[in-house]
Amino acid sequence: MKTIRTPRWSRLDNAAKIFPSNSSKADSKVFRFFCELKEQVEPDLLQSALDRTMEQFPFYQAVMKQGLFWYYFEDSDLKARVSQESRPPCLPLYDAERRSLLFRVLYFGRRINLEIYHALTDGTGALQFLCTLVYYYLLQRHGEDFAGSMPELNYDASQSQKWDDSFQKYYEKPEEKPSVSRIPWKRKAYHLRGERMPEKRIAVVEGRMSLQALLACSRERGVTLTEFLTAVLICSIHEGMRLREQSRPVVITVPVNLRGYFPSESVRNFFATINVTYDFSRQEDSLEAVSAYVRQSFRENLTQENLRQRMNTLCALEHNIPMRIVPLPVKDPVLRGANYVSNRQVTASFSNVGRVTMPAEMQRYIHLFGVFSSPNKLQASACSFLDHYVVSFAGPYCSHDVERVFFRTMTQLGLDVVITTNVSYGEAEV
Amino acid sequence: MRYCEKCNVSVTGQLLQCPLCQGPLTGEADREGNVFPEIPLTGNPFWLIVRLLLFGTIVVCTVCIAVNVIFPERGWWSLLVGAGLCSGWITVGLAIRKRGKPLKAILWLVCVGSVIIFLWDYCTGLIGWSIDFVLPILYTCTMIAIFVIARLMHRRIQDYLVYLILNILLGLIPLILLLTGAVHTVYPSLVCVVVSVIYLSALILFAGNALKEEWIRRMHL
Repeated sequence: MKTIRTPRWSRLDNAAKIFPSNSSKADSKVFRFFCELKEQVEPDLLQSALDRTMEQFPFYQAVMKQGLFWYYFEDSDLKARVSQESRPPCLPLYDAERRSLLFRVLYFGRRINLEIYHALTDGTGALQFLCTLVYYYLLQRHGEDFAGSMPELNYDASQSQKWDDSFQKYYEKPEEKPSVSRIPWKRKAYHLRGERMPEKRIAVVEGRMSLQALLACSRERGVTLTEFLTAVLICSIHEGMRLREQSRPVVITVPVNLRGYFPSESVRNFFATINVTYDFSRQEDSLEAVSAYVRQSFRENLTQENLRQRMNTLCALEHNIPMRIVPLPVKDPVLRGANYVSNRQVTASFSNVGRVTMPAEMQRYIHLFGVFSSPNKLQASACSFLDHYVVSFAGPYCSHDVERVFFRTMTQLGLDVVITTNVSYGEAEV
Repeated sequence: MRYCEKCNVSVTGQLLQCPLCQGPLTGEADREGNVFPEIPLTGNPFWLIVRLLLFGTIVVCTVCIAVNVIFPERGWWSLLVGAGLCSGWITVGLAIRKRGKPLKAILWLVCVGSVIIFLWDYCTGLIGWSIDFVLPILYTCTMIAIFVIARLMHRRIQDYLVYLILNILLGLIPLILLLTGAVHTVYPSLVCVVVSVIYLSALILFAGNALKEEWIRRMHL
C-alpha cells in the first residue's frame, strides 16, 4: 500500500496574489524567456536536461489550486515535458478546469523557450531556471568539450532560501493604517489604440543591438541604460499621439527587482514597480529633456526607503483582516477591479532584466538571450548576453508604430539593429 | 539577412515586408530557419457544432411554444420541452467545460444535477421519486465512481480528497430526510447513508492526516 505523504504546499507571495484573478485568454500573465543557440536544439537532450533542472527546482513542480480564501501552490506529480512550439506564444498556463504545471518548455529551431506563469516567479527566478536548463543541455550536448574542467553555475542558495517568500521576510507593519485611499488615485493615462491581433494573439518584435554602443549612447547623456531606453520609449509613444490626446500623460511602468535593494536568493516573485509619468502638454518633447526627467524620476523613486514603503503598503493590504476573510469568489472581482484601475493609469511598460551570465566555457555555443511577456498593452522587455542586447516589444496590436519609431531612433543614433518577429507580412518564401 | 532601406534595420527570417514600416526588404533571406513557427489562423470547429445545436434548440423551443399557443387544450406542455432542453444544456455544458478535471466534473454534475432532478420532481407534483430513489442512488454511485476513477488514474489522495469529502457530505443529506420522515421508500437512502458513513470513517481513520492537511490548505487565511 502506498503511504499517504502530505504534499508540500505554499501560499502565493504578495506580488503573485494579483495574478490569478486577472489572468485571461487575452492577458495570460505568462512571460517567456528564450535562449537562442548557434545550432538546432535536440529535443531528447533538452528533455533530460529539463529532468535534471527539475531536481534543482522542485517547487516549480507545483500546480495552483483554489482554497476558500486564497489560491495556493501544491506539489504535484505531473512530469514536465518539452515540446516543439506549435501554438502562439504565451498562451495561458493556469486554467482552473485543467491540472497543469505553471510553466512550459518549448523548442523551435535554435531556440529554447521557457514560458512561466507570473504567479510562480518573476524574471529573476525564471532566468535562473532557464540558465540551469541551458547549462545541463550544453553539458550533455558538448560534454566532450568540458571533460577537463566542469563549468560551474554560480547559484549558491539552499532549497529553502530559493523558496523563501522575501516579501514576508522584509515586511514591517506600517504605523499608519493602510487603506485603499492611500494608493494614489491618478488620472487616466494615454492609451495606445488600434486593431488587435486575431485570436487574441500577441505580436512580438525583437530588436538586437550592441550593448557597448548602447551604453556609450546613454553615457553620453549622463543616464543609465534603463533610463535612456525608457526615455526613447516615451518619445516613440509621443510620436503617434494626436494633439488633443496630449493632455493625457504617458506613463511607463518599470518593474524593479527588489533583490538589488533587499538581499534575497528567492526564486519567487520579489519585485515592485515604479511609474514614470511624462506630460507632453506641459513638458518639452526633445529626447534630452525626457531623458533628464526620467533620470530624475528614477532617482526619486528608486531609494531603499521609498521601495520599502511601497512594499509595506502592498503587504499591509494583503495582511489586513477584512481582505483576508473575504471568500475567494468575492476577492476575484475586487482584485480585477483594482487591476483595471491601475491599468488605466499606465500606457506601456519597460522592463530591463539586465545581464545574463553563463559559464565562460559555454558562451561560445549561445547566440543570445531574450525575454517578452503576454501583455494587454504594449510591453517592452530587454536583457543582454555578452554584447547582444535584445529589446523585445510584445503587444496585442497589429500595427507596430511605436516599435518603428523606437528602432529608427536607435539607427539614427548610429546603432545597428537586427529585427526578428513572429508576425509575417505577405507570403514567406518557401 | 534581409534589409529595410527606410528603417535601416536588418530583418531575420524569410519576411518579404519590413515588420516596422511594411516596406519592401532587399537582400537574401535567411537560410538558417525561423525562430518562430508559422501558425495559421484556425477557427475551432467545436464551437460551430455548439452554435448549430444551440440554434436547433432555440428553433425547437420557439416552434413548440407557437404550436402550444395554437392548441392550448392539452395544457402548457411546451414549458416541459423548454425545461428539458435547458436541463440538457446545463448538464452537458458543465461536463464539457470541466472535462479537464473529471473528478471535479463529477462533483459539479452531482450538485447541479441534484438541484435539477429535485426541481423536476417538485414542479411536476412532488411524487417523491427524486428523494426516494434517484438522489440516494446517484450519491452512492458517484462516491464509488470518484474513488474508482481516481485509483484508475493513479491520482494521489490529496488530488481528489476534497471532491470525495463533499460527495460524502451530500450522501448524508438522505439521513436528514430519513429522520424527518420525508422519504417513503427507505432502502436506497439507507444504503446511501451507510456507504457515506463507512467512507467517512475510513477516510478519518486511514487518511486523517491528509484530511487535516487538506483542511489547512483549503482554509488558510
